[in-house]
Amino acid sequence: MLTTESLHHYWHTLTGPGGDLRLFMPQFVLCLTIVLILLLRTFSDHINAKPFAFIGTVIGLLFALWNWMSASISHEPVNHELFGGMLVHDMFSIYMTVFLLAFAMATVVLTMLTGMPDTEDSADFTTLLLGSVVGMTLMASANTILMIFLAVEMASIPSYAMAGFLKARRASSEAALKFVVFGGASAGVMLYGLSLLAGMYGTIHLPTLAHEMLYQMTVTEEAFNPTLLLALVCFVVGIGFKLSAFPFHFWCPDVFEGAPAEVAGFLSVASKAAAIALLARFSLTLVGTYHHAPFEPEVWQAAIHAVGNYLSPVLAVMGAVTCTFGNLAAFGQTNVKRLLAYSTIAHAGYMMLALATLTVVGAKAVLFYLIVYFFMNLGAFAVVAFVRNVSGSEDLDAFSGLIHRAPVVTVAMSVFLLSLMGLPPLAGFVGKFQIFAVLYETGWYSLLVIGGLNTVISLFYYVNLMRVMIMTDAPDQAPIISLPNAGFATILAAIVIYLGILWNAPEQWSQIASTSLTRPERAVTHMEAPAADLVVEASPDKTGN
Amino acid sequence: MLIPSLQIYLLVGAVLFTTGLLCMVTKRNAIGVLMGVELILTASNINFVAFSRYGKLGLDGQLVSLFVIVLAAGEAAIALAIAMNFYNNFETIDVDRASNLKG
Repeated sequence: MLTTESLHHYWHTLTGPGGDLRLFMPQFVLCLTIVLILLLRTFSDHINAKPFAFIGTVIGLLFALWNWMSASISHEPVNHELFGGMLVHDMFSIYMTVFLLAFAMATVVLTMLTGMPDTEDSADFTTLLLGSVVGMTLMASANTILMIFLAVEMASIPSYAMAGFLKARRASSEAALKFVVFGGASAGVMLYGLSLLAGMYGTIHLPTLAHEMLYQMTVTEEAFNPTLLLALVCFVVGIGFKLSAFPFHFWCPDVFEGAPAEVAGFLSVASKAAAIALLARFSLTLVGTYHHAPFEPEVWQAAIHAVGNYLSPVLAVMGAVTCTFGNLAAFGQTNVKRLLAYSTIAHAGYMMLALATLTVVGAKAVLFYLIVYFFMNLGAFAVVAFVRNVSGSEDLDAFSGLIHRAPVVTVAMSVFLLSLMGLPPLAGFVGKFQIFAVLYETGWYSLLVIGGLNTVISLFYYVNLMRVMIMTDAPDQAPIISLPNAGFATILAAIVIYLGILWNAPEQWSQIASTSLTRPERAVTHMEAPAADLVVEASPDKTGN
Repeated sequence: MLIPSLQIYLLVGAVLFTTGLLCMVTKRNAIGVLMGVELILTASNINFVAFSRYGKLGLDGQLVSLFVIVLAAGEAAIALAIAMNFYNNFETIDVDRASNLKG
């Protein structure tokens, strides 16, 4: 029965200290900003929405940082389930929320600098951008099958529209069509896999599902469960699409070439980060160890190992093929955005290699890599956008002799490219080193060799772009990249260099965030109790079938 | 006579899923491909509802399918808008004609 007291109590659990809504503030602020921008739009078509979006992301980021601070000084490990188990609030989800909001803020700043969507379209663009970011943060904190699907769709649907944002450009509309068709298809396949998982184990709550899966594996002692394999393959199809992993990568170069460089940069970092976070959460929850094991630890470990045997080879093979393919195909590209798209595919492959180990250290290496990737890839796409603004082209030719026209930007771009390559004094090296170290420690020597060879292959196309920028003659007309734009690129380049030397702090953050991925005490929760009641109501015998 | 059971519903779901996949692979018309996507979403919905009726899933399954129906509508709206825009630029919605971007 709902009484005033119970409503009051419920309201208090939502809004009181440590309440669900308070922990959800970062996303909530973004939602409010979206509503505000849409309201402002109804008054006038000529309102520039970018400052509002910037303020919104900054406030959201501050709330997320506040969550991180208060969680890191608390004595107990932070591990709440929000909204009846739909979302999980732990160090990992806070880390990803901070990351994604910071990236959204940087993207808004970049669009302010490049003026890509003009003032009239800025309201539409920022609404789509912020909506997509909310979806991505939910992907990183999803705790049920329903939330996984909702979050993936919420992140994808605005990005379809953003890919086709330049409505009159043929390439842009083609990119959007390809994106929406393949995206919708892969999301559907993923949902089918998730429906099989939910049905087999009778719950949509991920930790309960993982527990149930291990339990059933132990009881039935099945060597091989084809339905489970089908379900996991369907899930990997959906995530593989978001990650642009090998057989599902083909949309990525087309979309990046057709979409504006700012959108391509956003998709390249934020969308991949959210997808890799979801994959890490999902796979590490499935192989997480739980205290309430009803069996001997050895038997339980064998079941965990069996689940790992379904996931790990798929991720390893996919990651290896993805980074090899990306690096090989990038060679000989004439459009710089297309080249960076293949580079994005390759980097997604490296991150999948680390996740294939299915260990917390692997997740830690990925989380660290994401920070590095944030700055170097955003920087590369920003420079592409700046060059497009002054020369109207994103081809390799537009970069020829850039050093004579814009020496500072050229140096910054070289830093980004060398870092993407993974050369020592730069941040990219530290990121790659951590991934390779994990592969070495966990004994995946074959993946280590593949990763090393790939780094060598990637040298060619990155160096080729640098050669074009530095060693060729400039065309006659020499437009100059404006000072704020050059400043933006310089700041990002400085951060890339700084992280290459002093990487202790981000390494610690990623360490803290990754350890919260396997939390034993979350196995059996309150989600089970209501579910059991509902089964009685819905059971077939009661209705006389 | 068929007695309704979990297997029958799952079979319907699997047939719809396969039909949707075939539809997506063979259709060259963008609208046809999108219809294939809708079939796949419906297949998952049937699975969820069947599991909630005959399995242990409870009302969670029905909840998921409700959300999926709403999301499918949203996705269709965006997809049709993009298809319209594509038509304005190319005067066709044949996905094979979308071949400006290659390499």
